[in-house]
Amino acid sequence: MIQIKNLTKNYGKIRALKDVSFDVKRGDVLGFLGPNGAGKSTAMNIITGYLAPTDGKVLIDGEDITENPKLAKSKIGYLPELPPLYGDMTVKEYLNFICDIKNVEGKKRKNMLDDIMYLVKIGDKRDRLVRNLSKGYRQRVGFAQALVGDPPLLILDEPTVGLDPKQVVEFRKIITALGRNHTIILSTHILQEVTAVCNSVVIINNGKLAASGSVADFSSDDGLNRLVVTLDCGRDAGQDALAKVSGVKNCTFSRIEKNCSVFNIISDKNVDVRRQVFRACAENDLPIVEMRPVGKTLEEFFVDVISKDDAGEGGEE
Amino acid sequence: MKAIYKRELQAFFKSPVAYCVVAFFTALLGLNFWYMNLYNGSIEFSNTLAVMTSYLTYFAPFITMRLFADEKKNGTEVLLRTSPISMWQVVLGKYFAAATVFLLMNAVTVVCPVIMALFMNEGGVFPLSMTVGSYIGFILLGLAYLAVGTFASSVTESQTVAALVGVVLLLAITFLETIGYQIQGWIGQALIWVSLSSRYNDFASGLFSITSAIYYISFTVVVLLITIINIERKRWN
Repeated sequence: MIQIKNLTKNYGKIRALKDVSFDVKRGDVLGFLGPNGAGKSTAMNIITGYLAPTDGKVLIDGEDITENPKLAKSKIGYLPELPPLYGDMTVKEYLNFICDIKNVEGKKRKNMLDDIMYLVKIGDKRDRLVRNLSKGYRQRVGFAQALVGDPPLLILDEPTVGLDPKQVVEFRKIITALGRNHTIILSTHILQEVTAVCNSVVIINNGKLAASGSVADFSSDDGLNRLVVTLDCGRDAGQDALAKVSGVKNCTFSRIEKNCSVFNIISDKNVDVRRQVFRACAENDLPIVEMRPVGKTLEEFFVDVISKDDAGEGGEE
Repeated sequence: MKAIYKRELQAFFKSPVAYCVVAFFTALLGLNFWYMNLYNGSIEFSNTLAVMTSYLTYFAPFITMRLFADEKKNGTEVLLRTSPISMWQVVLGKYFAAATVFLLMNAVTVVCPVIMALFMNEGGVFPLSMTVGSYIGFILLGLAYLAVGTFASSVTESQTVAALVGVVLLLAITFLETIGYQIQGWIGQALIWVSLSSRYNDFASGLFSITSAIYYISFTVVVLLITIINIERKRWN
């Protein structure tokens, strides 16, 4: 659906993107990650045709965004970080204007707008002036704007920033629903969001591609080599009992929480010590308040990738 | 282009700017009409329009100041640049909307020559072709000024700065004539030739000058082209 080939962008002497290449397959929901100033926005701006690359190519469904901008842009629905709204128009007027500039024919228009307004739940606000809407509703109108013309590709730049938790959940539901028949690029800082709605991830750091793959690749770990156990007992009693459990390589005391002791247990990979821990605790009359395995989360993976990448960068210089 | 034009025209009349500009312009013209035509008893409306050209230097940038500056400030520029629409369509749509406001402004003033034609002394002849000719000149000059204002709006995201840049540019173009008369030789001649105001002299004296008309139209087209290039350039920076 999208092919990004050797993308480079210079702002004067500053190199914002260096030779970035990746593909997005049709039907993918791609999480586009990176620390602040990594070049995410620059990349998004180039993909949507807002900026031209210094070097490299962006193909949207086979159409080059710089050589054939009209056709390529008609395949994209873009929600920038700041929704591009005209405060002096009503929601209906605004969406009709978007239909005009996206060349949506008059006949299809009414049904399409009704569907979109139903989906993002702004039907009851259609005659309100955009400037009088709350932040959450503005975000929805911006989202509605991206959906006009039913483009096969949606590019969403931090769509849930500034929304209340209920709205965030609703937004994620909508994105998941749209992901069934759209290709979506979702730029975000919130890694739970990526785990919740995306199936693949691209991480950008210092203008370069740091990692890419499926979400499963990034957060896959059997999760059993590390356990967090909370026992209703003193520090020493717990430590003694847990250290003796067969299979436990290392047991460390972490902290006291509500009069209970929290321990971190590391066992060999593929060895599940949870049953043994239970028995040992039962024998020593140490009530288990909580026991949970901790896997390598996307968050840790992200931090790993970025710090390794930064270290590599330092070595080169 | 139609979509942009429609939206822009609506925006003009949703804000008080268009009403204020039209009201202030017609008030000024009315004052000059009273003094030059009614009080002094002159039938030549072309003189009155000639006086109005100097006010136009200030009015034109006021009409055009929000065209692009506002889009940049609101973040809606992104929408126009990422939509399947060409930049020339955007620029022309916006320019024509400003031109429509300007034409409306002029339409109101037609009442002045009509009053003269209806109430002049018996046996007098109303100089119809002269009046129409000077109106065409005035409108073409105004359209050229609007193009400069449109360009000014594309260089900044502040409406106030856009208006100031527009006024300064137009004053600079007007002063080319004055400077031209001070400098001897071909440079002076060239400056006078380029100046928009020097070319209005024919219209002011009631003559319709086809070369000046063509010059105004070409000037407008070139400035609009520069505006398009200026906006497109940012894509590559």
